[in-house]
Amino acid sequence: MPSEQPDKSPKNKWVEIESYIQLGVLLPAATFVGWLIGHLLDLHFRTHWIYLVGLGFGIAAGFVQLFRVALKTGDD
Amino acid sequence: MTEELFFTHFLNRYFGGIAARILSAVGAHPVVAGEKSPYFFTYNPAAPITNFFAMEVLVVCILLALFIWTRSRISVDRPGAMQHVFEVAEEFVNHQSEEIIPAHGSEKFTPFLVALGIFILISNLIGLVPGFVSPTATPAVPLGLAIVAWLYYHWHGIRKQGVLKYAKHFTGPMPLLAPLMIPIEIISHIARMMSLTIRLYANIFAGDLVTLVFFSLIPIGIPVIFLGLHLFVALLQAYIFVLLATVYLAGAVAEEH
Repeated sequence: MPSEQPDKSPKNKWVEIESYIQLGVLLPAATFVGWLIGHLLDLHFRTHWIYLVGLGFGIAAGFVQLFRVALKTGDD
Repeated sequence: MTEELFFTHFLNRYFGGIAARILSAVGAHPVVAGEKSPYFFTYNPAAPITNFFAMEVLVVCILLALFIWTRSRISVDRPGAMQHVFEVAEEFVNHQSEEIIPAHGSEKFTPFLVALGIFILISNLIGLVPGFVSPTATPAVPLGLAIVAWLYYHWHGIRKQGVLKYAKHFTGPMPLLAPLMIPIEIISHIARMMSLTIRLYANIFAGDLVTLVFFSLIPIGIPVIFLGLHLFVALLQAYIFVLLATVYLAGAVAEEH
């Protein structure tokens, strides 16, 4: 994904702060969405294991977001 | 069951029949209030229009009336108070999107972002008026707004870059990792929609609840502090929703390197 905050004006500071707050919601939300997609696929295919894969992808998605923000902060 | 508001009662009295027919046509099942139902998508046949929907209709009516009234009195030489308010809102959002979406023609997104912000703000604030509730304190309304913002930024990403180039946003920097990155990116984007919904809903619901609890505990003086807090939260949440929609738009229309 592209960089979200190109310069360092005071408003972009707010955007930066907001992206940290966003992480607090995004981490559990990504985990839940991953689990939900897996669960729905399980219901559709009548299986009992896709939810675990979905959960794994969801946790990974949350951490990818976390690393992106961390790397962006490191660059700045 | 939640108490039916005066405006909801009014709408149900005159438009309840039409609403019930529309809901049946789209597959909703009539279930009398208090009864258990195996169906997920249901409505109460005695009052098919819910409080949150009635409040949304009211907010739209208020905004339409304000826009028509301001448009009829618009003046370059002697702008009125409402014209000033709307101009400030438009300039604020326009300036913000110019900063966040540089060199991408951000001004074309301003009408959508201003409309979104004003609708959320009025929806948040209407709960402060006795006899009304904030529609944003019901998860369906923030979810609807989040879906609109989500579709809007994807649509502009595809319009600006084409389907294939936009799809590269989802594949990550290394083609080998694409099978791993695509589901991760899809989940991240759906999670954005969810986080927008939860944040707005939870803040407004909590604000309403805290104000209500303190009104019932100490009806004089103290609730004013919480009303002030609710006012601040309403403003902040409208701002954050628009800000995040702008940040997501910036990500969607930016070239992937």
